[in-house]
This record gives sequence, structure tokens and C-alpha cells, in this order.
Amino acid sequence: MTYLWTEKHRPSKVSQVVGNKEAVTEFLAWIETWRKGRPSKKAALLYGPPGVGKTSLVHAFGKENGWEVIELNASDFRTREVIERVVGAASTLGSITGAVGRIILVDEVDGIDVRADTGAVQALTRLIGETRVPIVLVANDPWDPKLAALREMCQLIQFRRIPKPTVASVIKKIAASEGLKISEDKIKEIAEKSGGDLRSALNDLQLAAAGDLEVAERDREKEVFAALTTVFHSGKYSEAVAALQNLDLEPAEFFTWVLDNAPDQLTVEDLASAMEFLSKADLFLQRVNLKQSWGLLRYTVPLMTAGVAVSKKAKPKQFVRYSYPSRIRFLSSTRAERELLEGICLKIGRALHMSSRKARTEMLPFVKLMLTHNGRGLAEFFNLTQRELEYLKGESVSRPARKARGRSP
Amino acid sequence: MAVSDGSTLPWVEKYRPRRLDDIVNQEDVVTALKNIVQTKNIPHMLFTGPPGTGKTATAHAFAQELFGPRYLEDGLFVEINASDERGIETIRERVKTFARSVPFGGYGFRILLLDESDQLTDAAQHAFRRTMEQFSTTCRFILAANYSNRIIEPIQSRCAVLRFKPLSAEMVSEMLKRIAESEGLKLDDEAVSRIYEYSLGDMRKAINILQSAASLSSKVDPVVVEKAMGYVNRGEIRRMIELAFDGKFSEARDLLRQLIYFQGYQGQDIVLAISREIPNLFVSDEVKVRLVEALGETDYRIAEGGTPEVQLLSFLAKLALVKRVSV
Repeated sequence: MTYLWTEKHRPSKVSQVVGNKEAVTEFLAWIETWRKGRPSKKAALLYGPPGVGKTSLVHAFGKENGWEVIELNASDFRTREVIERVVGAASTLGSITGAVGRIILVDEVDGIDVRADTGAVQALTRLIGETRVPIVLVANDPWDPKLAALREMCQLIQFRRIPKPTVASVIKKIAASEGLKISEDKIKEIAEKSGGDLRSALNDLQLAAAGDLEVAERDREKEVFAALTTVFHSGKYSEAVAALQNLDLEPAEFFTWVLDNAPDQLTVEDLASAMEFLSKADLFLQRVNLKQSWGLLRYTVPLMTAGVAVSKKAKPKQFVRYSYPSRIRFLSSTRAERELLEGICLKIGRALHMSSRKARTEMLPFVKLMLTHNGRGLAEFFNLTQRELEYLKGESVSRPARKARGRSP
Repeated sequence: MAVSDGSTLPWVEKYRPRRLDDIVNQEDVVTALKNIVQTKNIPHMLFTGPPGTGKTATAHAFAQELFGPRYLEDGLFVEINASDERGIETIRERVKTFARSVPFGGYGFRILLLDESDQLTDAAQHAFRRTMEQFSTTCRFILAANYSNRIIEPIQSRCAVLRFKPLSAEMVSEMLKRIAESEGLKLDDEAVSRIYEYSLGDMRKAINILQSAASLSSKVDPVVVEKAMGYVNRGEIRRMIELAFDGKFSEARDLLRQLIYFQGYQGQDIVLAISREIPNLFVSDEVKVRLVEALGETDYRIAEGGTPEVQLLSFLAKLALVKRVSV
């Protein structure tokens, strides 16, 4: 299960692209004008909220028709040189007679950083003028002022959120193809939460599959629980160490299970001792990862299993069920929110010459307060979307002030 | 009662110094840079100093005086943030594209600012050192960092090191008053010194506190400052320690994750904040010493590559064993 389902289940045919029929038709019509050698506009700008299939449509078209899709996205640095090198070559090396067979896809164009990506917009504009193959730009927000020049050269194709019932039916089908037993309620819940973003719905489905006891992972989880029982209850070195050896799980993964279950299984005193062993196990484990020094596992494994086993002195008062690692639950349930926040911090950082990390620690707390009290202008300055603005405002409302404790009494 | 205008820009941006002469409190640095502008003999430079002392602003001001007002548009100066770029390869690639060509305008070189360069690992810094050498004919580097001791020796030795000092209380107070006047705020002296207590020599923080307070009321007195800081500084580290003391380990753990994943604390920021709290805890002196010992171990293990979250959890688990004393 190393695959991301969002990748695994990407449509390979245009007909499999869910929702947005109008946009699909418009896109095909535009491509058709290229096929005939008389493009209406040389580029198309597909825009709309995340996770509704903009990029997927282009790839699906490419796969179905055997066209090569040359993709650039925000993670590529898009200075003029890079664009010209990659896109420029691809855009002119087409066959002379009607450039069919190749599409250039520039993802996340609204992510172009005007300051850092010197000349990227101009370079793109010029390329669109000169290109012999279709260029597709993808953006969430097409009205971004820096895209004004580009916008005019593009056929604008709007994508909308995918209706929740459609999201529900898609994830139901995928759940079935993955052999998941999943309740109608859960499907509804995922669709509801998605807000029309199919990608996030698929991610949630995959997480539900990993976390939910009712699904296919069940048997494996039983094995993990058995191993945990040995670690927390055997009290014996060799048994505890063997628990992991008999388990088909990476030490790092099992480590998280032990770490997050320990507080429920141990008394305060025993927990402190177990955590000390776990923190040392972590140190070796990280070194295994960093330096590929696999030999260090000979310390990691006993520390994280037997170390915990011998820490347990007190008998349990009652049986406490094991649970899926809270860390993974936390990270998955907050993923969307964390991504939103990261986007905000990037914007603030760009506006103020600092990294997103620094923007988060040094600016964000203040910005939140400034925004709550009168923030339109500021929000504009940082180029925040309505959603981002509301999130920041909501944040400082839902978590009320506590007494300042910055200064010593 | 809230102020309506004036906050269309963050004041840290609005009042950012634009010229070398506007840089306050860093006379030595400014003198050195002016000489450099005069002689046009530009070395690689390392700007070090605490946050909010003007490193980035100075780099921009310097480039502007050297290249003129179009230093950014003409592509003569570029800023890369070490902690935003994913990995040294990305940085090298960007440096390469930037530094490869000889710029127009007869300068013969461009300036690249690598901000927050202490965020690079040692290995990344060594790789960057080679990049510096490779492109030094067409590119000058300015590295900015909070701590010079986190910059490897070979880089330091290739750079002129300029040290930025924390701003004095007078400088901060003067600036705050200037802003207050131009923004039409009433700002009393006590509020100024209260802001300074929170910000110390960090001008960015001081200005942020002022703007936050001003968003609550156009009359900024100590009460308003406290109120603003109440929103901003929620005392979460202290609360996490207290939860751990009370044996509420899982709640302390949730808070720790909140700090790491939402508020962007790095492991060592949290260690530092905890170390500041230890003297004020209601525990015996002997326990304080034990806590410092345990915290030091935590810090050390994080530096050695341990996962901050795991290492700090282990520290929190120890807190539950501590006996509190009443004072």
C-alpha cells in the first residue's frame, strides 16, 4: 500500500474524468482546433478549486490519445532560463505539420513568485506567442493580477467543485475496487468533508482504510495488537524482541505504535522509564535512516521492545484497548488545515522577505490579531484568499485569549 | 475605537529601512558597507545577528546603493531563503541559473542573498561552499544567519563577517514613537517600555506588538499591550509543562504536537522556552537541577539527530514524576 490512491486511480481516459462535463467539452473543442492546425487560442488556462480534476484531465487526454505531456509545476523553479530550456525546446520541436502529439502543462501558475521567479511570466507569455504545441496552464485563482497578461492569451476554462453525491459515488466505487468494507455513513462523511475536492476525499478514504478496524487492514492490525501485548505484558527480553521479528512491519512503524500506546498502558513511573528507552531507540533509529547504518537496529529493536517490557513494573488495573497511533491520526485529520496554513505562511513570507517557517513563528501570531480587528487591507497586501482570511480570523476567535504569561511573575 | 486605516500594510514592511542611512544601531556595519560601495570592491559577506536587527533590510539597502533603484527589476540582486528551498540541490540549481550569465549594466557581478542560511545542514553548507567558489567571478554572496556558530568554518573564512547587534531600548523606543506619530496613535512611555520588555532588541517584534495593540485601540497604553500579548503569547509552553506535571500526559502530547505542526516551533525552540520556564516552576531547587539535566540531555539528543517530538515526549514523561512544592 505504498501507492497514493490519488495517483493510482487517476483517470486514464477523458471519459473517466468525474464531473465538470462542460469544462471537458470546452477543453476537447480547444484541442480539436489545434488538431486542425488552427488553434483558437494557443494556450488554455484551466482554473478552479483544488482536487477537481484540472491536471487529471490533461493527463487523461494524453494517455488516451498517446500524446506526450510535458509537465512543469510549482516545485520546478521557473526562472526564464528554465522555462525556455524545458518548455521552449518542447514547444518548437514539434512536427511542422500541425503540432499534434504533445502538450505542455504548466501546473500551479498562480504559484509563480514574481520576485523569485524572475521573468517567468514574461517568458511564458512569449512562449505562448511562439509555441507550435498546445500549452495548458493550471491555476486555482486566475484573477491573480500577475496573471493578467497571460489570461488574455488563454482560453479560460472554468472547473467547479464536484457535487458531493458524485464524490460519494466515486469513492464508493474505488473502495469496492480496493476491497474495503466501508459503511455508507463513512462514505457520506468523507464526501461531506471533501467540500467537492475529490483528491482530498480519496486521501481521506485511503486513511480510513489504514485506520479503520473494519477494513481490509484488520488482520494485520490484529497482528500488531498481538505484538503490542507481548511488549507491554510479557516482561521478558527475548519475547519482547521476538514480537517485532515475527511481525511484518518496519521497526520505524512499530516504534510509532509502541510510542503512542505506551501512555495508556503504563503508570506514570513506568511511562517515564519506557519513554527514556524509546527516546534512545529513536536516536539510533534516526541514525539508521540518516546514515543507512543498519547495524544500529541491533540497539533500536531491543530498546523499543524489551526496554518497554522491563519498564513495566505495575500490574495493569484494567485492560486498555490498543489504538491506532494517535500521531498518524493527528497528522491525517489536520492535513488539510496544515496545508492551508502552510500556504498562508508562504504568502506572508514572500511579502516580507522571509521563509514560511519564520513567517509562521515571527509574524503569524501578530497577523492573526491584526486581521481580526481590521484586516481587509492587510489581507489584500498578503494576497490572502477569502478562505484563508476566514481561517485566520476563526482561529483567533475559536481559541480565546489566555492570560499572557510571557513575563516572569 | 479601533483604528481604521494605517493597517493596510504591515508596519514592519511600511517602516522597513530602505537606505543604509536608515539602518539604526548598526553603525559599524553601515560604515563598512558604505566603504564597500565606494570602492566597489565587494567581498562575500556573512551577516549575523539576532532576529529583527535589520540583516535582510540592510542587504537590500546595500544592493540598492550599489546598483541603483532598479536593482531588483534588473535582476542584479536575488534573495533565496535557505529554509524554504527544499535541499541544497535546489539552491545550487537556482544559484546556477542566476549566476551563470554576466549581468548587463557593466557591474560584472550580481548579488545573491541567502537568507536564514543557518537553516542549512552542515552537509548542505559544504556543498554550498563549492557553489560559492564556482560562481564567485559573476556572483557575490551575502549570507544572513542568526547564529554565526551554525555556519561552518570554511564559509566563514571566505566571508567578511558583519555582526548585527540587538537594538537598544532607546532605538526601539524612538522608532515606536516615530511610527505612533505618523500613524496617529497615542502611545505612552509605559507602553513603550512594556513593548520593549516583550521584544527586547528585536525591532520586528516590537513593531508587530505595536501594530497588534493599535488594532485593538488607537490609544496604546500598557493595558492594551498586555491585552494584545494575551492573544499572541498564549503561554502554551508553560501550560504543556503543567499538564505533564499533573500526569495528563496525553493532553501535554497533543499540545506539543500543536506547537510543532501548527505553530512551527522547532525542537530546539521548545527546549529553549522550557529552559526559561524552569527557574519559575514551583519545585525544589534540587528538582530544578534535575530538570535542567534532563532537558540538556533532550537538547543534546535532538542535536544528535533524534526526533524532536519523541525526545520532548520523553522529557514530558519525566515531569510527571516531579514533586511540586508550594511557595
